Amino acid sequence: MRYFKNPNIDFLGKRKLFVILSITLIIACVLITLIEGVEYGIDFAGGTEVAVQTTNPVATDQIRTAVSSAGLTGVEIKSFGEDNQYLIRTRESANAPELISNALTKAFPNEKITILKVDKIGPKIGSELRMQAFWAILLAVIVMLIYLAFRFEFIFGVGAIVALVHDVVLTFTIAVTLNNLGIVNLEVNLSILAAMLTVVGYSVNDTVIIFDRIRENKERHKGMNFIKLANLSINETLSRTVNTVGTTLLALFSLYILGGPVLQGFALIMIIGIILGTYSSIYIASAFVIWYMEKIKKIDLETGFREVIGVKPE
Amino acid sequence: MKRYFGKILLVVVPVIAALVLLYPTYQASQLEQKERQAIAQAKKAGNSSDSLEIMEKFKKQYGEALKTAKARRLKLGLDLRGGMYVTMEVDVVKLIEESAQNETIDEIFKDVIAKTRKEASASDEPALNIFQRNFNNIARPQGKSLLNYFDVGDVREASEEKIIASLNESIDKAIDQAQEVIRQRIDQYGVSEPNIQKQGTRRIMLELPGVTNQDEMRSLLQTTARLEFKLVRNYKEIVQAFYKIDKLLSEQIKRGKGFATADPTTMLDTLKKDTANVAIKTTEAKKDTTKLAQKSDTTKVDTTKGNQDTVKDPYAGLPPEEAQRRYALDHPFTTLFSTFFVPGKNQNIIPIYYTSDQFPEGEYIFRIPKDSIGKFQVLLNRPDVAALIPADLEIVIDAKPDTRIKQNQNIEIYDFYALKKEPELTGEVISSARASFDPTTNQPIVLMSMNTDGAESWARITGANLQKRIAIVLDNRVYSAPTVQSKITGGNSQITGMANAEEARLLEIVLNAGALKAPVQIIEERVVGPSLGDDSIRSGLNASLVAVILVVLYMIFYYGLGGAIADFAVILNVSLVLSVLAALGGTLTLPGIAGIILTVGMAVDANVLIFERIREELDHGRSMRSAIDEGFRKALSAIMDSNITTFFTGAILYYLGTGPIQGFALTLMLGILGTLFTAIVVTRAIIELLMAKGATSFDFGQPKIKSN
Repeated sequence: MRYFKNPNIDFLGKRKLFVILSITLIIACVLITLIEGVEYGIDFAGGTEVAVQTTNPVATDQIRTAVSSAGLTGVEIKSFGEDNQYLIRTRESANAPELISNALTKAFPNEKITILKVDKIGPKIGSELRMQAFWAILLAVIVMLIYLAFRFEFIFGVGAIVALVHDVVLTFTIAVTLNNLGIVNLEVNLSILAAMLTVVGYSVNDTVIIFDRIRENKERHKGMNFIKLANLSINETLSRTVNTVGTTLLALFSLYILGGPVLQGFALIMIIGIILGTYSSIYIASAFVIWYMEKIKKIDLETGFREVIGVKPE
Repeated sequence: MKRYFGKILLVVVPVIAALVLLYPTYQASQLEQKERQAIAQAKKAGNSSDSLEIMEKFKKQYGEALKTAKARRLKLGLDLRGGMYVTMEVDVVKLIEESAQNETIDEIFKDVIAKTRKEASASDEPALNIFQRNFNNIARPQGKSLLNYFDVGDVREASEEKIIASLNESIDKAIDQAQEVIRQRIDQYGVSEPNIQKQGTRRIMLELPGVTNQDEMRSLLQTTARLEFKLVRNYKEIVQAFYKIDKLLSEQIKRGKGFATADPTTMLDTLKKDTANVAIKTTEAKKDTTKLAQKSDTTKVDTTKGNQDTVKDPYAGLPPEEAQRRYALDHPFTTLFSTFFVPGKNQNIIPIYYTSDQFPEGEYIFRIPKDSIGKFQVLLNRPDVAALIPADLEIVIDAKPDTRIKQNQNIEIYDFYALKKEPELTGEVISSARASFDPTTNQPIVLMSMNTDGAESWARITGANLQKRIAIVLDNRVYSAPTVQSKITGGNSQITGMANAEEARLLEIVLNAGALKAPVQIIEERVVGPSLGDDSIRSGLNASLVAVILVVLYMIFYYGLGGAIADFAVILNVSLVLSVLAALGGTLTLPGIAGIILTVGMAVDANVLIFERIREELDHGRSMRSAIDEGFRKALSAIMDSNITTFFTGAILYYLGTGPIQGFALTLMLGILGTLFTAIVVTRAIIELLMAKGATSFDFGQPKIKSN
């Protein structure tokens, strides 16, 4: 089986178009996120979250009335998994589960109320977890930059990080925007954080594979125009990219469709992140390196690229 | 054959290792199914000897095997099987507060503590640092030093640094001790396979599978279990203090200061109303208790007026309602509860009114309705009020309402006591505790025995306080306050006043495990019901299974026989991850499953990289053998670089994350190691073994090319 026989697609010829597209998208998503705000899940916001199940579906409004009348504040109700499962959230933490369960039993005497899970997070833990997430991502980025600078040239490391930041910012803001628009239920919680970190790993992984090929080709085709070289490397790894992304997406889509409410958010973030990661490895990471050489180092890519990449002239 | 022996080993050994390590998991699930069957049979049998026999038989046949299998199997996380996840934190502020010497604590110190508590609840900074900063800002300008509050033994060597060092030490010790105490409590409570871990410097993380009674568990975990024996000092002294408190408060109300908040006039009004209400309630209560007294003692019925007769009644001549209202206004504090005088043994208790400061010598009883307790405590905590209570005394309320009144009148009335602050004896002397029933009343009790030192002291204390009452105080609530009838030697004592046998059992557990040196509080609590656990494990497994099947089929579709080998390597990789997880005693959580799926992706990627390279080399016209060599060689750097960067992410997550995130990170890291091993070593070994007989072609799904 073979999809491409010696593909020769000019990926980088249109790089400016894609860079502009990416920047526009990032600005738009970041703006929307700043305006609409981020909806933190219980893990980061603190409070109490109770998942309940009734025998038959009931109206969320009735649940809200029942729970609010029990004297709980900041009550939010969401459907959760099946039709008859609900997620009730409140700011209070002291004996909220008991209050909720009593209020619901009173309001729906014909329903059997089952408490599926209870999460109580103190406000301190919430903010701590937020800081933890921030540091985890920052530290991961720094460590990778160091590793890549060591394995490749420094500018390649920066290129990979630029692509990575692109992916993380876009994935995060797209997820937040999807949640704010009410398209999917995606609050920022611990499993979303895990997914984001996986995206971090994946994004770099993808970029590294193309850079690895550029490094190899640079030796093989000494003196070749860098844009051509990058294009060649992307084309040579295209088959791998399609197959790996394909299988990973296959796995993630089955997770998204069949994985239940707990895995769904995780899978969706990964799907967005992996598509973006693949795109950015091709258009952002290499485009950044090209831009750096052309505009900052003022190197004529036709002739002088060896001064930056490869062996420095004596 | 000999040349290939090493390669065969490379393939066979990991397979065997995975099988061996995962077998207990399989065995445990099989045996548990058998156990369930046996239990069902036993239930069916009904007859107790039959059902016992069935269970005995099961235990004899499989008991040991089940136990070892359970110990070695892959454990499922709470999100997959239901249970309770709790993070507790040692209350360092409280510990600092309690380390200070009782008699030295003043307003300045209380200020510092209050501010520290507020800041510590919203900050990550160690509470001791916050305390020091606040102390320097608030107490030091007022001429106070730490030496004023803390005792470090030898005065000559005392220094502030020493105090901080010793506080630091007790904070460190408190967490270890708390962990130990909580472990013992959990063990005795009977949670199977609990996971108790210290997290950072002052947190304890608990995973309690199968625990569904959260309330009981919460009280079991949070109880400090500080047991103290204190002398009851319900004497004239405290009644006089109450009298003074009345005077102070009523004057404040008259001056319009009320409870010293924003709007004095409305406060005054509400206070008037409130106290009037309470007065009516308490008079009702008084009536009730009087009735009770009448029932219990028929010799004397004159219980109406108490000390009213002996002094001049200032409300004489007023209509009864007006007199009552006026009385309530003048006595905002003592109308919250009722006071009785005990004239002597076997005599009726007499209600006491605070109309004059002349009170008879002797013993008193205080009873307070449940509704008034909140206000009562608020008032007692006010500094100006607290200053009127004698310094060596404290007011402690009963743990449970008076059962007789509750049964007869259905009103919850609590006794409270003035206790000598310094305990006579503490729970440290308790060597064992046992829940039982009082043979005469059939009430639940906890019997305690003391060690030799404790028994000696107890004999001395009881001997010195004959016919006096000693309160048994647990976590600042009085469980009982019996009168010492005779000197108790042998170190036995008992606690009564529990609501039910269950509470007695919890008390037995906490007393046996010992007291916590510092209070702990629950800061994070997650409970997963088993039904959600079932749902999520089912959908998680289904999704993973479908994902794996799709990936396997795709690989065979694209890479032919090579794809099949890659599939084998990937499955072996997942099995290895699971078996190492089982061997390390880790737990498989939902994020863990996600990590495994990511592993599948990475492992497939590694194989894809290799096969693509081999196919490229074939395109360049290499022979199959050299293409394979080159393919593996050239793909190596890309595989290494991409896996190492992802491994870093995993390591950072594992290091910085907690709970579920760590589960994800651990499987991810194990998966990457597995990927490197299986994709680079195992896949290659299999390909070379398959080509051992001098084959010159191999199906990597490459289009057929004409051989030349």
